[in-house]
Amino acid sequence: MKIFSVIAIIFLTAFCFSFSLQQKKEYNNLYSSSLGEFNNQLTLLSNTIKGADLSHERGRDKIREQIKNSRLKMKGLDFWFRYFEPNVYRRINGPLPVEWENEVFEKFEPPYKREGAGLTLAEQYLDEEIINRDSLASLIASSVAALETFKADSITKNLDSYHHFFLANRLFILNLATLYTSGFECPDTANIIPELQSMLKDVKEIYITFDETFPSTALSKEYLSLYDKTIDFVSKQPLQFSSFDHFGFIKDYVNPLFGINQQFIRSYSVVTKNYNDFTLNNDCNSIFDKSLYSPQNSKGIYSLIEDEKLLTEIKQMGKLLFYDPILSANNLRSCASCHKPTEYFTDTTQATAFQFDHREHLPRNTPSLINVTFNHLIMLDGKHISLQDQAKDVMHNEQEMNNDQKELIKKVVSCKEYKDAFKKFLKYTPEEKEVSLSHIVSAITYYYADFSNYSAPFDGAMNNKKAIPAEAVKGFNLFMSKAQCATCHFAPIFNGVKPPYIGSEFEVLGVPEDTGYKKLSADKGRYNVNPAKETLNAFRTGTIRNSAFTKPYMHNGVFQTLEQVIDLYDVGGGAGKKLTVNNQTLSSDSLRLNKTEKSELIAFIHSLNENIIFENPPPELPKSSDKKLNARKPGGEY
Amino acid sequence: MKYTFTISVFIFCAVLSRCGSQKKTQYDIASHVTAENKAIFIERAEKGKALYKIYCAGCHGIFTKGKDSIPNFTDIQIDNYHATALIGLDPKNHAVAKKMSSDQIDYVITFLRLRKVKKIKE
Repeated sequence: MKIFSVIAIIFLTAFCFSFSLQQKKEYNNLYSSSLGEFNNQLTLLSNTIKGADLSHERGRDKIREQIKNSRLKMKGLDFWFRYFEPNVYRRINGPLPVEWENEVFEKFEPPYKREGAGLTLAEQYLDEEIINRDSLASLIASSVAALETFKADSITKNLDSYHHFFLANRLFILNLATLYTSGFECPDTANIIPELQSMLKDVKEIYITFDETFPSTALSKEYLSLYDKTIDFVSKQPLQFSSFDHFGFIKDYVNPLFGINQQFIRSYSVVTKNYNDFTLNNDCNSIFDKSLYSPQNSKGIYSLIEDEKLLTEIKQMGKLLFYDPILSANNLRSCASCHKPTEYFTDTTQATAFQFDHREHLPRNTPSLINVTFNHLIMLDGKHISLQDQAKDVMHNEQEMNNDQKELIKKVVSCKEYKDAFKKFLKYTPEEKEVSLSHIVSAITYYYADFSNYSAPFDGAMNNKKAIPAEAVKGFNLFMSKAQCATCHFAPIFNGVKPPYIGSEFEVLGVPEDTGYKKLSADKGRYNVNPAKETLNAFRTGTIRNSAFTKPYMHNGVFQTLEQVIDLYDVGGGAGKKLTVNNQTLSSDSLRLNKTEKSELIAFIHSLNENIIFENPPPELPKSSDKKLNARKPGGEY
Repeated sequence: MKYTFTISVFIFCAVLSRCGSQKKTQYDIASHVTAENKAIFIERAEKGKALYKIYCAGCHGIFTKGKDSIPNFTDIQIDNYHATALIGLDPKNHAVAKKMSSDQIDYVITFLRLRKVKKIKE
């Protein structure tokens, strides 16, 4: 009897164990079966390409139809693929043939060349006049090869635990708000919303299977019911992405889903080993909160200081230095000379600022310092990787402040107030034995970074359902669809940093030298830093926040009004105005925006004006022991 | 009395000399590195040492006599730390490192990587 019961217990345990193993597999099975189905679709597509008559539209349409089918299957896997291996996924769903990337942790290395292939590029290629069958087939062959990566153990082993799920889901939700509905990866705009619908349903299946397999870390009822409402909402929306309610979709569904998922990440103690997560902040509950991803380190050398009182002192020194022309060789130009704190830390009066000699002008427009902390690369060509490097460069630059490092420090320390303060800070920065340039620039960056912490009415609308003008809402919907702005400007900062917020994007717009579009601007942009065919005349995508106040616009300050800027996009950039721009990343087709639409876009841009509280300049600057230096005026005289 | 005094002076001097000898860290830099770059490396490593003493040595006590190899950072481990620290994977879970600027992390790791240690036989 005893033996019998022991055997029974063993059997029971074994049964339970095998049952739990089997359950674990369900989630895994869903992954591999979806992958298999997609693989089949790609095989079908390859065969279609082999047999199709490429010289006739009918043959091409056959391929288009099969691409469409394959895309739907691909969208069902996007949830996992984009999170596990985004660079390999680019060979399945790469929107561009070549992208140069510089990710946060790779910023100490030269940029990587990422080659795209797959369905999006194949679909675009079908619109060309002459099609080479082999080229077309190789785009798909590349995708088939890429699929092998996703079958590897190193990737599938992630599916055995719950951790990846909430992180992949976070990325999925972020892309719902920024990418999937903007048409960036979907050349045929008629398919955007149908693809979204199918994708939402496929992800629902992933959710259900996950919950069955990992019941102790399941999605809550609250989440699932909101997700069902999301599916319902999308199914009732018009199929044209330009009439889709992007605003309501993000505000009432996507953003709340994001908040709940962040709670899961915290309460289930989700651990990441994936580089896709490292800038994202687990404590942030809204996509429209500036704490969403880690900004530049504005504290620099003072990073380890936490004493609030001391930090306030550092900030005060930063402010004095910001206004102090002592930083320039002739003691006349300060940071505030060009980055005027009353004008959103830019200069709204000049296209480009004077050079140091006060005669010639600099080649580029002074950028606003507000929200620069949210760029991974600094300057329009991404020359610098930290705010401190940029500040040092300006001080040395012959055309800007023209200073010698030793001379500069000597001058600063000749002022008692600075000297005392820095001597005090020195105790907290053991790596430096004397007052260094790092102490000076870090105080400055720490001071001005504060002005990037404000929010705009649009954030209030998204986060707290506060009302914004109906025109602005329409403008946002245009921004996300017909006007194609959202394909480059991503929430929450509306700059070129897209989910998972680890790299900065550069674009070629064909910006002219003059408002008459007679000549392309000669500035090579990103090419100066990373010479390549694709980077010629490319510039880092700037933020739209506060842009109503930061005229003039573009890298050379050629435009005075937002209307002119929107017109540039509307006509298809420089290429649309018949300038020769071989590598323009903006489509040269017109957007066909009408007057009302343009004014709605501008209303949306105005809803991104932040409620910044500006400060008055310091009444006086620290006195120097060198009397000649005491004629300095706060802010300088340029 | 005089005897005790002499002994205490002797001990004091011995302790002092030990402290003095501890200050200078020997660095192990490959011979193909140019003198100019060597100087840069050492400058960075020295900055790292200063930071390490204050912010790291409390737990990772490599300056205490007899504990020079605790923790036993191997070259590969340090390289991995370097990579993950810059990526931000590790510092997020590390109370001190997550506050450091990437320059500071780089200094500390350069120090760990270059300082001469008795290799543990494998």
